[in-house]
Amino acid sequence: MMRKVSLLIGILLLYTTVAASGQELRIYNWSEYMDEEKMPADFEKRFGIKVRLDIFENNEEMVAKLQAGGVSQYDIIVPSDYIMPVLINRKLVQPLDHAKLPNLKNLKPLFRQTGYDPGNVYSVAYQWGTVGLMYRKNQVSGDAVKSWSVLFDEKKQPGPFWLIDGVREMMGIALVYLGKDFNSTRPADLKAASDLLVTAKRTKNCMGFKSGVGGKNDVVAGTAVAAIVYNGDAIQSVTEDPENLAFTIPKEGSEIWFDSMCIPARAPNPDAAHKWINWLLEPEVGAALSNYNQYATPNVAAEAYITPEDLNNPGIYPTPEIMEKLHFTKDLGKDNRIVDEAWTRAKTR
Amino acid sequence: MRRSHFLTVAVSWLTLAFLYLPLVGVAVFSVNDARRGLVWKGFTLKWYLKLFRNEWILEAAWNTLLLAVISTFVATVLGTILAIAMDRFPWRRPTRNFLDTILYIPVVIPDIILAASLVVVFGLLRLFSSFFEPGLPNMIVGHVTFQIAFVALVVRSRLGAIGREMEEAARDLFASNWYMFRKVMLPLLMPGIMAGAMLALTLSLDDFVISFFMAGPDSQTLPLFIFAAVRRGVTPQIHALSTLIMLITVVLVILAERFTRR
Amino acid sequence: MKRADTTIAWYGALTTRHRLMKLGGGLLIPGMLWLMFFLVIPGLVLVAVSFLTRGAYGELEWTFTLENYRRLAGFSLFGWTADYLIILWRSLVVAFVTTLVSVVVSYPLCFFIAARPERSRYLWLTLVIIPFWTNMVIRTYAWFLILSPEMPFARLAALLGFIPAGAPLYPNAFAVYLGMVSMFLPFVTLPLYASVERLDWSLVEAAQDLYASRTRVFTQAILPQTLPGLSVGIILTFIPAMGMFVVPDLLGGAKYMLVGNLIQQQFGPSRDWPFGAAISMALMVLTMVGLQIYRRKGKEIEVL
Repeated sequence: MMRKVSLLIGILLLYTTVAASGQELRIYNWSEYMDEEKMPADFEKRFGIKVRLDIFENNEEMVAKLQAGGVSQYDIIVPSDYIMPVLINRKLVQPLDHAKLPNLKNLKPLFRQTGYDPGNVYSVAYQWGTVGLMYRKNQVSGDAVKSWSVLFDEKKQPGPFWLIDGVREMMGIALVYLGKDFNSTRPADLKAASDLLVTAKRTKNCMGFKSGVGGKNDVVAGTAVAAIVYNGDAIQSVTEDPENLAFTIPKEGSEIWFDSMCIPARAPNPDAAHKWINWLLEPEVGAALSNYNQYATPNVAAEAYITPEDLNNPGIYPTPEIMEKLHFTKDLGKDNRIVDEAWTRAKTR
Repeated sequence: MRRSHFLTVAVSWLTLAFLYLPLVGVAVFSVNDARRGLVWKGFTLKWYLKLFRNEWILEAAWNTLLLAVISTFVATVLGTILAIAMDRFPWRRPTRNFLDTILYIPVVIPDIILAASLVVVFGLLRLFSSFFEPGLPNMIVGHVTFQIAFVALVVRSRLGAIGREMEEAARDLFASNWYMFRKVMLPLLMPGIMAGAMLALTLSLDDFVISFFMAGPDSQTLPLFIFAAVRRGVTPQIHALSTLIMLITVVLVILAERFTRR
Repeated sequence: MKRADTTIAWYGALTTRHRLMKLGGGLLIPGMLWLMFFLVIPGLVLVAVSFLTRGAYGELEWTFTLENYRRLAGFSLFGWTADYLIILWRSLVVAFVTTLVSVVVSYPLCFFIAARPERSRYLWLTLVIIPFWTNMVIRTYAWFLILSPEMPFARLAALLGFIPAGAPLYPNAFAVYLGMVSMFLPFVTLPLYASVERLDWSLVEAAQDLYASRTRVFTQAILPQTLPGLSVGIILTFIPAMGMFVVPDLLGGAKYMLVGNLIQQQFGPSRDWPFGAAISMALMVLTMVGLQIYRRKGKEIEVL
């Protein structure tokens, strides 16, 4: 009996080692940020490298995973702009080899000299977008959603809704609603924002905090009438059901973000990672990505292949008026701690 | 047979209904031909078929199985030896109490504390050796740690039930330690060992928290997969997967009953 | 202190104490070493980490401080708040209520099963064991279906004004309690049944013959006899319930946070391992208390 058991174990172990060989690219990306079946398949067809996709729902979760060992297990990560200093400071990402990235020239100049990574040392822009409010048209009036008070003022709440489960996005929105700076680190401001969130959370209509994608799915399913979501996710659903769904950015303002692709410091297959990045910078591929996920592309060559409706959609490519109300999230260095505490406070009361 | 009070019977039926209502709901809607919502749109098995074509689910299933089998095997061996060592030797009271306490810790401790301490320790050990990267080996270690205690407790109670006579008789007949173990103790102990192993197996299959904290990119297990999917929105495919897992659980329970009732 | 090597008879074998101890020690080593390395030492490391500081970018800074415990006691950057103490208290209450409800409901169930004819008893037990062995994630998310807006339960609650119309009956405290009780019920039922099965009904009948009231029959005749199983059930429910995070996460949705969520948040998005360790320590203290009770009361019964 013992011999049979050890034979079985041996076979199992052998199988796992065999299955693990073969070129593989491991991507750690936001959920529903690309066509999760077609894109990896296309890449594999072109380069013969298998793609394994793992997903996360917010930047902090991604960094936590990296710090807990993911830094040597993923080849590509997709962080947002404000978390880049953390990654660079903690040496969690490696410098890119521009010789392997000839398509870098396709990026718009703005994305070649960003504030967080001038010269694309560590990152290449992936998509950019905003955070806003998605809602069901028949239950929420177009007027009400002109202001964030539709969520924060109990009398104006139209029905069940979700707040977004991302510390900087949610705190930022609370801060601008109160007339403060989106990136404020003043304890009084943060306390007020935190209190606002607690009050809102406790109302009957607030269902709690959910990721952008989760909130979007609930609005689409009808279990919520409004949710704070990322614009691309929302526009995807609005396009499928324009009669019932809509997206807007309330007047007090919201977040604008750039997402980039980076290679973790001890990635198992950096060569494949570079191939992926360069491939994504190709005009048709970049356009396919944006046409699928309905976010804005940083790729000037790709713009030729993007559908005209998208190019003219202010939800995807905001007008100058809207741009004025949008804020970048800034990395706060040591002050990150107080924002974290305010967030924990909002979630735990 | 005693006649039970009407209230006892009523409460019992209600309780069983309470336990099964959600699970039955999942099973029912796993064969509903509707992408979302609870309106019955006809019977279909297509969600099950989609499962078998989803290679990530198949991989998660394989990982779950591998994890459970390997950790159960290691834990059963270690736990059995531990039980024999604790029960069949004349330890003094303080030693015995100390060993007992250590054994009870994994049984009683909330598994999140166990997971947290492993995360921290492995995080530090990672700097010295890459064995401690998140992934299947780490998950196996975590599972074995709490499984050992359960196996040891089960086997120990079986040892208590066996009593001394057989072993004493064997020794009287000049049996050596090893012979006595192989031919006398082990066969008598087997039902207990099997019970312990089955318990360890289900604990591993059921575990979520330890796996959640120790998992790496290529060691996704079924519970982790379902948790991540459920947070984004429930789909009938998840219902199908869950129903399948429940059916497998039923089979395991029946098998376990067979083994331990010998 | 070196004892003289005495010859003893042990399980029929004539051997010296030292030789016996050597063999015993040798057998103890694999299991105990494993538990030492992966249970005890990590626990101690966790204690140490709870005294460290979190760096600006979420890394571990090796400066020792009591800050995490002060924060746990309420002294945050925003002045004193009872936030974390409230969460600890809330977890205690939820665990207590869950255990209480499970116990109250388990007794009738156990009596019911014990009263069945002997052959079918194991069938009923199997019915209880199946959910017990089903994965906790599945058992929890299954409530999403029952509590969804189209089901009568949510509709009723909306009618009564507890929730807005068209909303599901989660996430909220009620849903969390439902999930917790359905999760832990078998944990009480199974050990309790082991005791109830061995109940000496003659004592119960004697009490009834002596015209004892219903409650006295229970407290004097039934309860003491079932105490071992009950204790095991209570400990196996109460302590894990305090550290549970799946149920509050899925059914409470960050609106109703418990200690488990708080700890998970520190090891996840908040990246504050020292604070997470400190909270774990607080939970650990409560666990140790329970452990002592378990060892005293539950030893008599072999449920595992």
